[in-house]
Amino acid sequence: MKKERGIFIIFVVLCVLVSIGNPNFLGAANLKNTTRLIGIFGIFSIGSGIVIIGRGIDLAVGSVFSLVGVILSMLLVTHHVAWPLAILAVIALSLLIGWFQGTLIAKYKIQAFIVTLCGLLFYRGIARFISNDVTMGFGDGEGFAGVQYLAAGNLLGVPVPFLLMILIAVIAGIFLHRSVYGRYIFAIGRNEEAAFFSGINTNRMVLLTYVISGLLTGISGILLAFYTNAIAPSSHGNFYELYGIAAAVLGGCSLKGGEGSIAGIIIGAAMLQVIQNLVNLLGIPSSLNFAVMGIVILIGVLADKFFMGRQTTTK
Amino acid sequence: MPLTHIPNYHMKLSAKIILLAALLNFGCKRNDKPTIAFIAGAATDFWTLAEKGTNQAAKELPGYNVIFKYTTDGATEEQKRVVDDLLVNGVSGIAIAPLDPINQKPFIDATAEQVPVVITDSDIPGSKRLCYLGTSNIQAGKAAGQLIKTALPKGGKVMLFVGKADAQNAKERITGLEEELKDSGITIVGIKTDNIDRVRAKANVNDVLVSNPEVGCFVGLWSYNGPAILNAVKESGKLASVKIVCFDEEQETLQGVQKGEIVGTVVQQPYEFGYQSVKLLAKYISGDKKSAPGEVIIPATIINHDNVEGFIAKMKAIRAK
Repeated sequence: MKKERGIFIIFVVLCVLVSIGNPNFLGAANLKNTTRLIGIFGIFSIGSGIVIIGRGIDLAVGSVFSLVGVILSMLLVTHHVAWPLAILAVIALSLLIGWFQGTLIAKYKIQAFIVTLCGLLFYRGIARFISNDVTMGFGDGEGFAGVQYLAAGNLLGVPVPFLLMILIAVIAGIFLHRSVYGRYIFAIGRNEEAAFFSGINTNRMVLLTYVISGLLTGISGILLAFYTNAIAPSSHGNFYELYGIAAAVLGGCSLKGGEGSIAGIIIGAAMLQVIQNLVNLLGIPSSLNFAVMGIVILIGVLADKFFMGRQTTTK
Repeated sequence: MPLTHIPNYHMKLSAKIILLAALLNFGCKRNDKPTIAFIAGAATDFWTLAEKGTNQAAKELPGYNVIFKYTTDGATEEQKRVVDDLLVNGVSGIAIAPLDPINQKPFIDATAEQVPVVITDSDIPGSKRLCYLGTSNIQAGKAAGQLIKTALPKGGKVMLFVGKADAQNAKERITGLEEELKDSGITIVGIKTDNIDRVRAKANVNDVLVSNPEVGCFVGLWSYNGPAILNAVKESGKLASVKIVCFDEEQETLQGVQKGEIVGTVVQQPYEFGYQSVKLLAKYISGDKKSAPGEVIIPATIINHDNVEGFIAKMKAIRAK
């Protein structure tokens, strides 16, 4: 819990500064908008983070979003499949993708970077091919308004994606921090060989991290598709894997594996969304969007280093 | 033992390569028909409509092969590679939508020395192109300005949304808007960019609804900005107080115009870009070298509540082809 304290303080300071700059930041409308995006981005960031803790990487996330969105639209709009079935089919597909990548990485020992990079190229290509490169949409959503509610709706004034993220974060937190399987993943991230020789079925656990990432990517993919209500196969979710990776690292995960927490990942994901929100609210030109994101992340990581450094010297 | 295996393996490999090459050769249907290629921008609805146009032209021109190629946004080197490959294969004519009209002039000139080149979408004045075929984006911007004037008869504030503000067509549309809105009591308060990311496009609209409540009209400069604005405004429950003007013909945009949620949209006719440039090139290649005009302007059209039904029917017919 020490590692994410620094980033949490930075996050709070950032929020306070923005709300001083523009009081509308804490207005109901803006909180709804921002927490909705935090929910959508937070869910798949948890998956990316768990993979990173197990010393892996998942670069295919953004392309899976495109594929999931295209297939979902085809099932619902073109083939009029009942929405619970369509959701199940899409979730099954993303699980299958996770299992496929995980098997190549865990069982056949191919580098995660290469496997998921090929995935990034492959799924995007398939999405573009099956849609003929035409933007797929959901129109008015006749017949599946129920599932649109998941992405666009509110429950007691709170956006549904945010509630979903909280639920998933609690389950993932128990799994990662309270169960023996979580311990295994941390152990594998630190030293896979040592974990193997201490009797952990490392192949199965590594595979599991990619399956989890696949599942959470699928859920986010559905939410994202209904958020935009239209999927341009060639650009939908481009580079979004980097949001997941950045959220995880910002939240205290180490790319060398074996470190990180669910709480940290959530704070990291929230931070990335608040940064983009503040660019607009404070009237900073859109062209500076990425520059602001880069500098705030760097300050966050530096501050984290500073806090961590002080803790070790005062001990 | 391994030593004897190695040459054997190589023979097998080379045999495989020869077999593969033979298969590939059969795979490509080689014939002597002249080839016309259309090189478009990124794979968006806009260019898929142009592709429909080239398909129609191909049907009418059985004596020609017609190829349609998409390229990634901003990747001018990809356009160069595609053109180089086409030239190697002996293409007879090229229609291209330059991604960076200012800096691609030498490349277009070099290509035009070998085959006739039609430039579409964004012109490169002074280049050695055979012809420019497209819409004037400045004129399209002016048309959108007229729509904004009808939306805000008493004047007011406007916010622009676009993927990249430095893209040529975005710059020209903005220029047209500014010219039309001069001295009209309507001011453009800013431009929000989203890097062709629909999620950001929608989030930008949500943010502006919060940060600039005084803005009375939202203008989407690129095709997907229309639906992004419509969805965000609808979900915030502000359809009654905010006017929307957009460009291009995404389905949701047209539905919005139909329902009266969007004031109007300015459309170019990408189908005509594809259809007419292939026809023009075919005519030129077939020997009619004198009739090529220097410029074909396909007018931008305003689609509003009055003419949207007819336009939707026309689009359906094109898409069904």
